[in-house]
Amino acid sequence: MSRHSFLESTLQGFTRAMSKALQSEHAATQPGLLQQLDPRVRVIGIFALVVSVIICRRLEAIAAILLVAIAIAVASRVSLASLAKRVWLVVLGFTGVIALPALFITPGEPLFTAPALHLSISVQGVRTAVLLVLRVETAATLTTVLVLSTVWTHILKALRSLHLPAEIVTMLAITHRYVFLLIETANQMFESRQSRTVGVLSGSEQRKMTARTAGVLLSKSIELSHEVYLAMLSRGFRGEVRLLTDFRLKPRDYAGLTAFLFTGCLAAWMGR
Amino acid sequence: MASTFEVQDISFSYEAIPAIRGLTLHIGEGDRIALLGANGSGKSTLLRILDALYFPSAGSVTFKGDALTEKHLQQEEFFLNFRRRVALVFQNPDVQLFNPTVFDEVAYGPLQLQWNKEDVIRRVDETLEFMSISRLRDRPPYRLSEGEKKRVALASVLVLDPEVLLLDEPTATLDPKSQSQVVDLIQQWKGTAKTVITATHQLEIVEDIADRVFVLEAGTVIAEGTPSEILSNTDLLLRANLIHAHRHSHEGVVHSHPHLHGHSRHEHEH
Amino acid sequence: MEEENPVEIDEIMHIPDGYLSPSTCATLYLFAASGWYAALKRIKQLLATRAIPLISVFAAFSFVVMMFNVPLPGGTTGHAVGVGVAAIVLGPWGSILAISIALAIQALFFGDGGITTLGANCFNMAIVGSFTAYGVYRMVAANSKLNSRQRVLAAAVAGFVAINAAALVTAIELGIQPMLFHDASGTPLYAPYPLHVAIPAMMIGHLTFAGLAEAAISAGMVSYLQRADLGLLRGVSGLAQTPGPIIAGASPERSQGRLWWAVALLMLFTPLGILAAGTAWGEWSSADLMNPHTREQIGAASGNHAPPSSVPVGIEKLSNLWTAPFPGYAPRFIKSPMFGYLLSAMFGVGFLVLASLLARVVGREWPRRNLGS
Repeated sequence: MSRHSFLESTLQGFTRAMSKALQSEHAATQPGLLQQLDPRVRVIGIFALVVSVIICRRLEAIAAILLVAIAIAVASRVSLASLAKRVWLVVLGFTGVIALPALFITPGEPLFTAPALHLSISVQGVRTAVLLVLRVETAATLTTVLVLSTVWTHILKALRSLHLPAEIVTMLAITHRYVFLLIETANQMFESRQSRTVGVLSGSEQRKMTARTAGVLLSKSIELSHEVYLAMLSRGFRGEVRLLTDFRLKPRDYAGLTAFLFTGCLAAWMGR
Repeated sequence: MASTFEVQDISFSYEAIPAIRGLTLHIGEGDRIALLGANGSGKSTLLRILDALYFPSAGSVTFKGDALTEKHLQQEEFFLNFRRRVALVFQNPDVQLFNPTVFDEVAYGPLQLQWNKEDVIRRVDETLEFMSISRLRDRPPYRLSEGEKKRVALASVLVLDPEVLLLDEPTATLDPKSQSQVVDLIQQWKGTAKTVITATHQLEIVEDIADRVFVLEAGTVIAEGTPSEILSNTDLLLRANLIHAHRHSHEGVVHSHPHLHGHSRHEHEH
Repeated sequence: MEEENPVEIDEIMHIPDGYLSPSTCATLYLFAASGWYAALKRIKQLLATRAIPLISVFAAFSFVVMMFNVPLPGGTTGHAVGVGVAAIVLGPWGSILAISIALAIQALFFGDGGITTLGANCFNMAIVGSFTAYGVYRMVAANSKLNSRQRVLAAAVAGFVAINAAALVTAIELGIQPMLFHDASGTPLYAPYPLHVAIPAMMIGHLTFAGLAEAAISAGMVSYLQRADLGLLRGVSGLAQTPGPIIAGASPERSQGRLWWAVALLMLFTPLGILAAGTAWGEWSSADLMNPHTREQIGAASGNHAPPSSVPVGIEKLSNLWTAPFPGYAPRFIKSPMFGYLLSAMFGVGFLVLASLLARVVGREWPRRNLGS
């Protein structure tokens, strides 16, 4: 990796995060299947399906859930192209690569041997590699579809009404809100350093610069937290947080929940 | 006129650095006050002391006869009462917008004061309408412009219909159109029972937003008067670092003119 | 989980859904939840109402720092977790919460990182990482002045050790999967690599990349703070004293308490010691040497010398004689299930000590300044 490109990567990372956030907001407003369900049902339902993916022991059952996940995605107006780019290829590149050696080193009955290379692929190796990749792909597809189709505030409120403590939900909300502010701040700091840097920096100079930027960001963050605290106090904060949750279950929510749970249980049972 | 704030000889320091020294002032009900001072003069700190966020190490502050001490603010009833009646709009709107959406932000105050759900929703929608930001209802704060953030910040305090509004540099960082909207809002309260205290260093808005001016410098009040009295006192303004003097030369002679940019055209003698 | 780095194995610290069995996930969620509960209680006692904005904004900061590419020797980059700085500035409890929240945002909003494995990830990085970082920092920094070089060194060591402790715990969790969860024919159902592969693979990645990144960031930030904002190095009691309503300060750690931390950390580390004695570097199977991906890793870990292009006969033979004991230690255990149980037991005892420390801390009363409340 060249001298300047580590900065580029970081900046690209920031841009990617921001665009992911915007993508989320857009998808959540589409009139799709998931969007019409109560957020609590979505959270519980998707979570139930992910759990059944983890419980299943058989490839066929997991593959079936993957098909269900894709169907849900399509019905919820999530583009398969964006899913492929955001999930499938990423998982393949990561878990796929990790699973590769398993083909060779998992003990078991040989499927394919290359005697000249002392290499042998076992049946168990193939099965375990495919199992892992499929599981990860399916779970990631499910969570991504949930995240894309649900506005962040609704996820928070769903968690709250599922009895996550109010302080935790408040902290998640405040953290999320300020992540973008800090990304913007860090972005500006890096960009200005980038434009001021003439020539190529040595490795240790680069490290120092990164650490210094992180340090400045930390100071600003702590100061920001003090100000936010005062702002909260000024509007009546006394340690307890009250949130407004106004979800009401409609008949279609009960139907949706039942469908999710039934699918999950069926898959888990068939895949046992 | 009934008194709102009685500030008697207060001092306050950040760690070892003094920010307020021996400051005294009296503010009555319905007053529209401008706290004029350069950055670092202590006006933000003063506003926070008036909002009972900081407590002075010496001297006393009372609000409508009640002492603003740490102990007093620990009492829930007084706390909730005070927080509803006195509101502070921070200079940096980002610190005041800590909720996930605009609606949540404006609803925060009423919710903390334990209003019931229907009242909260109704009142929030009213306030959003009043500030012309109803279309921003579900927007997260990181997707708002500076002007929009300011209006949300104002909405978030106006929702409780406070008696006292403390505004910290309300027009800083705003484009001219947004600035004039804020100034219009403050002008609306002229003659009402609302007490408005605005801290600013922008001289051009002072006449519109205040009937009385306190000039701050190095943590203490160095002058008090009407806007026209204060704004015409160039020595005072220079001393308080609110205007600056340029030097320029005409035909070999060097002149120094104290003036301020952005104000209406002025002529000066040569 | 972006791929900027050809050697990605060091980023598996954020375990995705599918690598851990349901029972592992549930157990680790339980561990994590008890950690969160204790941390929340403790941090509220230390910081009262100030805790919520402070921890939240710090979590946002951690999240952003996790995105930094830290340049490392050899022209590569790594990512830090930020647990070193978090433990130093917020103390272990605040760090647990801040890092956990950052991880939760990653999983719940950005969809990176698993939701069934969130408990595990939080346990590994936020809990084990925080305690380790804090314990090591206090031990190495001792009573040195806030602006001394010793503190910078302490930060570097703390960050490095913390990441590797987290990596080790992660590796153990992954490594016991095939042994405990496989089907009738022996196919591993979740993470497919047994301990003797998982541990070296994780540790190499973290000893050389993520650990160094964390060390660099921790040391660099402490060094910066020493010049720019010394107060932040005073730890959580310092944070409680900023202007605003005063709340009860934290009492100083008793040295006896530190001894227990040291014991607990040692127990967590013993498995690493056992393996280090057997020199994990060098314990590759012939298959590892032939696979281009692991070859790259081996190369990177071997000072950028490429491994031989064919399996050396010696290693070939030794692979088959893997169970022959080396003088002094007993790697015969390594391939057996008993070793896995032994490691888990050590780890469990270490955790129990930590749990009892937690219980002590949660039930303790401090002298409080009476504010008339």
